[in-house]
Amino acid sequence: MRHNPAPVKKRAVLYIVLFLVLLLAGITGFPGNNILRYGFRIFLYITIGEMWNLLSGYAGMTSLGQQAFIGLSGYSLALATTKYGLPFPLGFVSGLIISFAFAFVLSFLLLRIDGMYFAITTWVVAEALGTLFMSMTYVNRGAGMTITATPYPKIGVLYVMALILCALSLVTVVELLKSKLGLAVIAMKDDKQAAEATGVNVKRCRRIVYLIAAGFTALAGSLFFLNKGTIYPESGFDIGWTISMVFIVIIGGSGTVAGPIAGSVIYVLLSEFLAHYPGWSNIILGALAILMILFCPQGIVRLRRRIS
Amino acid sequence: MYVLQVIINGILLGGVYAVLGLGMSLSLGIVKLTNLAHGEYIILGAYASMLLQAWLGIDPFLSLVISVPFLFFAGYLIQIFLVNRAMMSGSEPALLVTFGISVILKDAMLLVFGADARHIATDYSNITVDIAGLSIPLLNILLLLLSGVAILLLHLFMHKTYTGRAIRAVSDDREAASLSGISVGHTLAVACGIAAATAAVAGLCVGMKWTWYPSSGGHYLLIAFVIVVIGGLGNVAGTFIAGIVFGLMQVIGGASYGLLISYIFLIVILTLHPHEALIRFLDRMKSTDRQKTANGLSGSGFVTVKTQTEFKSEQKESSDAT
Repeated sequence: MRHNPAPVKKRAVLYIVLFLVLLLAGITGFPGNNILRYGFRIFLYITIGEMWNLLSGYAGMTSLGQQAFIGLSGYSLALATTKYGLPFPLGFVSGLIISFAFAFVLSFLLLRIDGMYFAITTWVVAEALGTLFMSMTYVNRGAGMTITATPYPKIGVLYVMALILCALSLVTVVELLKSKLGLAVIAMKDDKQAAEATGVNVKRCRRIVYLIAAGFTALAGSLFFLNKGTIYPESGFDIGWTISMVFIVIIGGSGTVAGPIAGSVIYVLLSEFLAHYPGWSNIILGALAILMILFCPQGIVRLRRRIS
Repeated sequence: MYVLQVIINGILLGGVYAVLGLGMSLSLGIVKLTNLAHGEYIILGAYASMLLQAWLGIDPFLSLVISVPFLFFAGYLIQIFLVNRAMMSGSEPALLVTFGISVILKDAMLLVFGADARHIATDYSNITVDIAGLSIPLLNILLLLLSGVAILLLHLFMHKTYTGRAIRAVSDDREAASLSGISVGHTLAVACGIAAATAAVAGLCVGMKWTWYPSSGGHYLLIAFVIVVIGGLGNVAGTFIAGIVFGLMQVIGGASYGLLISYIFLIVILTLHPHEALIRFLDRMKSTDRQKTANGLSGSGFVTVKTQTEFKSEQKESSDAT
């Protein structure tokens, strides 16, 4: 592929400036707490959306169980800070390590299957974890746990952390897709046998992608629950996390980097608006997602490209 | 004596579990669709029976006369308007569409019925029958009978009626079935309607045996998966045996860990395929037996009437060979 270096450089400068502006907004707290709270949520949803997109849209591994890592990291954070009195950054690290370890062990089972069986198995794993945490006294069973931190981070700090995580995840995805590994991943999705025949180590590729997705999803989960302050088995291992990831990627456009960004902005604004109609939000989000799959499977990012 | 009673109850409950898996077995094995909304269909069936009992004052078993057609049409319409379209572009869009339907149905039921636990109670819910010194709940016997009748009816339908044969033909080879004048979209929708209709029966069983919430669908969906995976796809007899195995597993595992055991069991079966290894092993045993006893008998002469699908698959094989 031939590409022109100058516009790429220009665009990179633009992105860095955008990042610095957003960062500055968080540090000064200039836009006000409400806007920062929106930003916090949008950045985290971009992160988990990009990761689900990496799995489903690029690598062809549609998972319905990424909430396993959100729950695991949320509980790790709660256990580390409340039970063992550690500062919350160490809780993040422990959540990351536990999620990586869990994903690594699980990958030996999951990489043996694909398609709908992969989707079902990931979901069953998350449900099994939720059931397990419901009956374990170590994590207070269904009563849940609180997350302690002194001083509790303000929204500005949370916003900056989410922004950095989001930027890291975007850079990771873009660089990954440009690398040899990324090309192998895309080749693998199009035709697994052909990729294998041309020397792609399919299992290794799939494992790396799965681990990266697990790691970033876990970090985003820690941040979500640091903001919430409490965690229950139903909220940590909620299938709702997957619903939002699916929605974000389907609406935005599966298999594009820009898709989940657009999808997250729409998701956060729409769910904020739908909060006025309790009980209806998932119904409307679900209906929108179905309509998009049926009538506009490329998502709005490519729709815009098609019009222009 | 107590152990025997527990085992008998496990076997009786097996009928209920078999019905839970029946619809999933149809949609996975025949329509080749992972219907993630099947759990919600089951819960919808339970609500339908509950409402019919409350409004009309009829016996819950009689409510099936209305709830089965209702769910049949719901399943038919959802398939023909939504899922068939998505299935044309692949299995993953179809999976995500059923996921969306599941989310919508779950929250819609939550809005309409509230979050309360529900149960279908009757006069004979708590009667036990004493047989040879064992006290067995009458309800378990009735539910086993009901599930037996449902499974038998489905088996007869699939093998003795034109529509049943058309469904199986579409399952074997869509193109060939379409060439011989079967409307594929309609047939798939009928199959999904039947799968949803079995969910009405399953819903009644769930409602009479346990309590449920609007959000219980996922739980029963996973049980249905376990049953189908143990019993084999589209295999009615296998589903029944799998139901009994699962019933025993639940009874032995106890209330709190029975579910976790079944999840782990499902993960192991889905990822490690121990049952396939067993089938391969048995096949190898069989084929060596056959080689010893018979030779030269295979091939032509036995099959006199070929269906179009069989013919087509043979043609495919012969063209592969050349």
